[in-house]
Amino acid sequence: MREADERYFERLESELDTAMDVAERARERGGDPKPEVEIPTARDMADRVENILGIDGVAERVRELEGEMSREEAALELVDDFVEGTVGDYDTREGKVEGAVRTAVALLTEGVVAAPIEGIDRVELLENDDGTEFINVYYAGPIRSAGGTAQALSVLVADYARALLGIEQYQAREEEIGRYAEEIDLYDKDTGLQYSPKEKETKFIAEHMPIMLDGEATGDEEVSGYRDLERVDSNSARGGMCLVLAEGIALKAPKIQRYTRNLDEVDWPWLQDLIDGTIGEDEGSEGEGADSDDASGDAASEGEESDDGEERAGPPRVEPAKKYLRDLIAGRPVFSHPSKSGGFRLRYGRARNHGFATAGVHPATMHLVDDFLATGTQIKTERPGKAAGVVPVDSIEGPTVRLANGDVRRIDDVTEAREVGNGVEKILDLGEYLVNYGEFVENNHPLAPASYTVEWWEQDFEAAGADVQAMRDDPGTDLTDPSAAEALSWASDYDAPLHPKYTYLWHDVTIEQFGALADAVETADITATDGAVMEDTTTAADGDLVLENTDLVREALERLLVEHTQESDRLVVSDWLPLVRTLGFSRSLERDWTLEDISEHAKTYGEQEAADAIGYVDDELGDEAGRNAIEAVNEISPFEVRERAPTRIGNRMGRPEKSESRDLSPAVHTLFPIGEAGGAQRDVAAATKHSDSMTETPGRVEVEVARRRCPDCGTEGHEARCPDCDSLAETIYVCPDCEMEVEPDESGRAECERCETLASPTQYTELDIQEIYRDALQSAEERETAFDTLKAVKGLTSEAKLPEPMEKGILRAKHDVSAFKDGTVRYDMTDLPVTALRPAELDVDPDRLRALGYETDIHGDPLTHPDQLFELKVQDIVLSNGAAEHMLQTADFVDDLLAQYYGLDRYYEFDDRDDLVGELVFGMAPHTSAATVGRVVGFTSAAVGYAHPYFHAAKRRNCDGDEDCVMLLMDGLLNFSKSYLPDKRGGRMDAPLVMSSRIDPSEIDDEAHNMDIMERYPREFYEATRELTAPEEVEDIMTIAEENLGTDREYTEFRHTHDTTDIAAGPDLSAYKTLGSMEEKMDAQLHLSRKLRAVVESDVAERIIEYHFLPDLIGNLRAFSRQEVRCLDCGEKYRRMPLTGDCRECGGRVNLTVHQGSVNKYIDTAIRVADEFGARDYTKQRLQILETKIESVFQNDHNKQSGIADFM
Amino acid sequence: MPLSTPARIVSELASRGYNAEPAAVTRLAGAPESETALERALETMPDDALKLTVDHVDSVLDRSESRAAATSTPGQDAETGASAVTSATEPEDPSVSTGTEPPNSPDVGDGVPVETKGSRDVDISKRAIEVANDMTGDSTGTGEYNDFVQVFRDRYEKLASKLRGRVNHRPTDAIENMAGGSEAALIGMVSDIRSTASGHWLVELEDTNGTFPCLVMKDRPIADLVQQLLLDEVIAVDGTLADDSGILFVDSLHFPDIPRTHSPSTADRPVQAALISDVHVGSQEFMEDAWHRFTDWLHTPEAEHVEYLLIAGDMVEGVGIYPEQDKELDIIDIYEQYEQFSEYLKEVPGDMEIRMIPGNHDAVRLAEPQPGFDEELRDIMSVHDASVHSNPALVTVEGVTILMYHGVSLDEVIAELPDEEASYEEPHKAMYQLLKKRHVAPQYGGHTRLAPEDRDYLVMEEVPDVFHTGHVHKLGWGKYHNVLALNSGCWQAQTEFQKSVNIDPDSGYAPILDLDTLDMTVRKFT
Repeated sequence: MREADERYFERLESELDTAMDVAERARERGGDPKPEVEIPTARDMADRVENILGIDGVAERVRELEGEMSREEAALELVDDFVEGTVGDYDTREGKVEGAVRTAVALLTEGVVAAPIEGIDRVELLENDDGTEFINVYYAGPIRSAGGTAQALSVLVADYARALLGIEQYQAREEEIGRYAEEIDLYDKDTGLQYSPKEKETKFIAEHMPIMLDGEATGDEEVSGYRDLERVDSNSARGGMCLVLAEGIALKAPKIQRYTRNLDEVDWPWLQDLIDGTIGEDEGSEGEGADSDDASGDAASEGEESDDGEERAGPPRVEPAKKYLRDLIAGRPVFSHPSKSGGFRLRYGRARNHGFATAGVHPATMHLVDDFLATGTQIKTERPGKAAGVVPVDSIEGPTVRLANGDVRRIDDVTEAREVGNGVEKILDLGEYLVNYGEFVENNHPLAPASYTVEWWEQDFEAAGADVQAMRDDPGTDLTDPSAAEALSWASDYDAPLHPKYTYLWHDVTIEQFGALADAVETADITATDGAVMEDTTTAADGDLVLENTDLVREALERLLVEHTQESDRLVVSDWLPLVRTLGFSRSLERDWTLEDISEHAKTYGEQEAADAIGYVDDELGDEAGRNAIEAVNEISPFEVRERAPTRIGNRMGRPEKSESRDLSPAVHTLFPIGEAGGAQRDVAAATKHSDSMTETPGRVEVEVARRRCPDCGTEGHEARCPDCDSLAETIYVCPDCEMEVEPDESGRAECERCETLASPTQYTELDIQEIYRDALQSAEERETAFDTLKAVKGLTSEAKLPEPMEKGILRAKHDVSAFKDGTVRYDMTDLPVTALRPAELDVDPDRLRALGYETDIHGDPLTHPDQLFELKVQDIVLSNGAAEHMLQTADFVDDLLAQYYGLDRYYEFDDRDDLVGELVFGMAPHTSAATVGRVVGFTSAAVGYAHPYFHAAKRRNCDGDEDCVMLLMDGLLNFSKSYLPDKRGGRMDAPLVMSSRIDPSEIDDEAHNMDIMERYPREFYEATRELTAPEEVEDIMTIAEENLGTDREYTEFRHTHDTTDIAAGPDLSAYKTLGSMEEKMDAQLHLSRKLRAVVESDVAERIIEYHFLPDLIGNLRAFSRQEVRCLDCGEKYRRMPLTGDCRECGGRVNLTVHQGSVNKYIDTAIRVADEFGARDYTKQRLQILETKIESVFQNDHNKQSGIADFM
Repeated sequence: MPLSTPARIVSELASRGYNAEPAAVTRLAGAPESETALERALETMPDDALKLTVDHVDSVLDRSESRAAATSTPGQDAETGASAVTSATEPEDPSVSTGTEPPNSPDVGDGVPVETKGSRDVDISKRAIEVANDMTGDSTGTGEYNDFVQVFRDRYEKLASKLRGRVNHRPTDAIENMAGGSEAALIGMVSDIRSTASGHWLVELEDTNGTFPCLVMKDRPIADLVQQLLLDEVIAVDGTLADDSGILFVDSLHFPDIPRTHSPSTADRPVQAALISDVHVGSQEFMEDAWHRFTDWLHTPEAEHVEYLLIAGDMVEGVGIYPEQDKELDIIDIYEQYEQFSEYLKEVPGDMEIRMIPGNHDAVRLAEPQPGFDEELRDIMSVHDASVHSNPALVTVEGVTILMYHGVSLDEVIAELPDEEASYEEPHKAMYQLLKKRHVAPQYGGHTRLAPEDRDYLVMEEVPDVFHTGHVHKLGWGKYHNVLALNSGCWQAQTEFQKSVNIDPDSGYAPILDLDTLDMTVRKFT
């Protein structure tokens, strides 16, 4: 680690310590469940593992082992420690096994995800039929987040511990083996498994498994055969167990075997049979069959991709893949059909705001697709991954459009895009699409042929003998934007390929179009800019080329992306010299070739491109051979012409970007129970006035809350602190049967010895909401007018049902922030990566940044100017404007809380958002239980959270449209409590049970290590792409982040190949979010589909109907005729309408849950879309029949209305 | 009534260039299957003979009698599987029943409706057909909550009335107030079935006052009956209240059921009906050849008594029944499917009386009861004046009451009940369950869809003589308390989907019911 990095982390940690001190002092005073901060700090993974598990001594041992062995081996090594009792404080054998298993899972998931605590319920000792004991591990659904390897290893660890403890193996009974098979099949059908083992395989595993796998029922579907087994509690599918057996043991058998070999005590010889696939018949096809949707599709297309290039007479191409079009949703447009001409052109490189499941798109494109793309919008993409987050990159080429007047222009400028926006008749080309090499590594996708771009050409040029460095230094030369004369002379002088600027998309035109264009050039005129025909064509380079306006010629120019203007009978091209030279013409428009001279090979080149992946045949091209004129061009051109854009990438919109506060629904200010008294709004003020009848005192509400007693003065109540003497009260457990008090044991379990039932920590009691509210207002020093409504909850979901002090809610309401289930205030943002930034785009002064440790820019010069680029530190994050606003509100809340409730000094004292810069926050992703400390470095107008890729990876997120939250540090420290977490499976997920104060790059999701960090990609790389090479074959010439792990450079030198002017360019919000109704969105989507050359509008309409409307209509109609009903008054649900008609619980009115309105909501729209956009007759007929089916259910035959006209 | 008059026999013989002894003509005319006999007589005549003799006719008649005995399968033999049927009905002589070259109908071009393939000389004045429970054009439900409540109350009332005589019913709210330990009985709709931790069964019964929990101990013989229960059927229980009157320990459990004493009605004359189902015209797997053989056979003398054709749904394959169905359709257009079906129907003798109900592939709502077709579809199938009734419908043919129901609920019955009670191999056993419950689709909220109407059309108020379903594409029949339960096979060969789930359909069978004896013969046309 460099000294600068050390300083950075120390600085973060010292600020954290300061905040901790304040928070600790506050928590000692207030009415919080615990008198100390409940989020322990972890400096590394070992700390996190220990904290998340709450087992002392684990961290130390993990650190010892880490240097010596792999994490998996360490997990096994720790088993010895648990068994011997040197780690963990377990008396029982099952406890030791449980500790070892949890620790193993935590280690393998880097102590971030919730699987080790939520995914393993318990370990128990049961008896075999021969009287010996065996181990049963009881899994739960959240084990899913551990992944297959950790799941499988948890079993191995349990077995190893079993062996060391001398416990016998599990001997499965016949019916249990049958049960496993039936249940896994059921779970697979119901929920779906990544890998579906054959029945024989499951039985084989069940027979040999040395420990019993059991678990919690996760679904309602029950097995029909092997029911009511003695050793299996439930007849429903046990999701956690199914995952461990199928996706763990069955799928990861080879990995487990690697570790069983090293263990003398554990021997799983049967794994070999599993690996060999000798269990069950036709095992060979198993891999594919199991994963028919995902893997086999990919595998098949990849297979073709690598084979095809050589055999066919055609250019190297990747196979079109249409999977991303599946489940198209109304309102989320298709931007390009698979690999279709006119779609996004693949360009390789990594922009500074790019590289971790993201796609770089020109901001002009984002505007021209009717603003549907914004920074952070997720797109489902054809390749290389499945989805990506969109980032604006303006150093790549923008879209080419045809305007209403026929002019064809490339738009490389956002302002221009906005200006021409409404005049765009057709988007001929979406522009370039930047993908970095690391994406191909991460997805193990063969490289696709690269576009011919400046960065490649420069290297070709250099290889041809040009002194590129000298030219770069020459202010008179612009290598990226040369004049036609320069480009032509370079090509001829050095015998280098033509510069990309003047390389047109010859591979997109047919031989016929190519011939027609050449003929048109032959008869063309050259006009001066004033329109006069130039007499002397030999010196006419300054004039415009005027071509006859025929369909073939015009289409050819449009497909080539040659900019031109159009008049009724002529097409005018300026800067035309490279075009005619490429076509083998002289400056005076003479040629010495005819179409007959073109070889047969060139004329038939590219036959296979006839139909695309969706089976759509491009009418413009006809169906004859010779769809690619690139070979023909190279036969007649005086210089080499490269394929300009051989790979097109199809995609469609996925999720819109997100930047909004996280509210429970309905939003809650205070975790205080008020039952039904507050009405549907859960309004505390209303509850103070509520009474069930006239005789009762208003504001008295019967609720279930904690049962506590003060150890000092014996006062009983429900609050965390004794209301009389302010000492910390204790939870009292009372047996529900005999009403005796029960002392909880060490593990916190309180079982009544006499009744053998669990004692309850809660009580039903009547609270005087009026009094509590009044007291809280007083102690928070607030008046009721400070806020609109104070919203509370109906009941508490935590185990001990300890309510939050209402003062906190009052202050939250005052500052208009709401509480999440754990008491924190959160703000959600779509994750995007960024490695280098400019002070200007952060709206932060360079001085301020220098004070945060950003002393130099990326070149090592002092950071003084707002436009200088500096490298982002790994834990620094950029807040969206919305997040900043929300953080300011939260800071005000926290300050008021400190001053008015805890009686301490204000901590933040912000005046404006500039004060936020340098403040610490928590980043936290769903399904995890560890927060990562981050530092605010600036703001962006994009509705996303930009941060270092390592920061996202530390939270176990990538940036393909995922979102997670930030919390203000002091809010988390003051208000988070485990006591508030719901007492149900998964309740501890998405809660900061521990925080990482610094990121160790080796301890993050390794997906981030695949990101490339180069300044430019070598020429060999570009050439390799044309061979459809596997990404690992070029790893020697490429640099990815992994190479710097463990070195001094591990926190720095994240280079990028492409800059971008503004990381928030393009629309601030996707049109998807600004448009109103679903129908409005869909109309915009269809409108756009008509505009895009790369999109077949009828296919879009068809898919919307097929995947959105029809399932909706059919599903709702089905749902209607088998629906549940619900009581409007008490909410009780009934599977079937009660015969009494009224609610059996409360006598209230019962009503349907699916109404006519929700059934026929979309039928008219669907029929209209089918007509307007040319859906197939079959689809139209399905809709028509559906309409009559719906009518038949809802119309009274005796009272038929033939139309609205009857009533006029 | 023999179809062939002596005159016709003579003219038929003449048309083929034969003379006949008058006595031979009389014998033939008097034979029970005169046309068949005639055909056979002509076929077996010595090559050189010009005149049909009495001796020859006698020998032919003797032989066909023995054959008749062989082909009529005893209806009582409920357990006969499909293979046994095949062997019993496999025609020994193809020229008669399933002849590849069908005999020319004697009446072709002789006053037969032009659009049908030809009629037979039958006396249609003796026919009688009535239809009840048809809600076509009378669907009054508008999908309101109260419509649903109405349907379930109607079901409860109708089925409870079948049970009132058997137990001394007390309303649920009255039972709650009875003394602990007392005897009590209750008629209720099953609203919940659960197994308790100790393996007993907790059945919650509901009446118009509320619900009451009933416990069936696992070691009681009636525990097996609980396995047969479906949600939302109506049963009666007898038992003892628990000490706190909070639960009823069930001693006996009763279904509405078909009375064991039920004695079915029969027709007054030897007349037959063909009971088929699931034609699936438009599917690539529709068995056109089998259908042709079937309709050809209907023109043979052997089929002269088959005057009625009843089709229990799925006339066409339909559109949009499952995803990407268009790839497996022969006819993509739904109206063309019905037009083609109508064409196939024209092959049936013009005089036949045809009654149909829709199925889940037909172009009507899927929720039950399903009304018959709308006018547009009826117009397409105007040939034969084939009537389409709602599903289910009660069709009484010359006194024999036939409950026609497509059979979507069978899937659920088979899925929910133990294999020995109901399986795809023996679909009629699933039908017994429905008969026992006196409801064609009791369970709500699952597989079967319900459209609320002003009453529950799915209740079997009246005991049918025959219960005819299809849907599961399996052939099976048998008698339950003297009611003939028949699931017709289909006219669609195994589909890709069926192959994938290992369903082997019984395709190309036509069960023929003797309406005068309720005996059944199954004919195979593949």
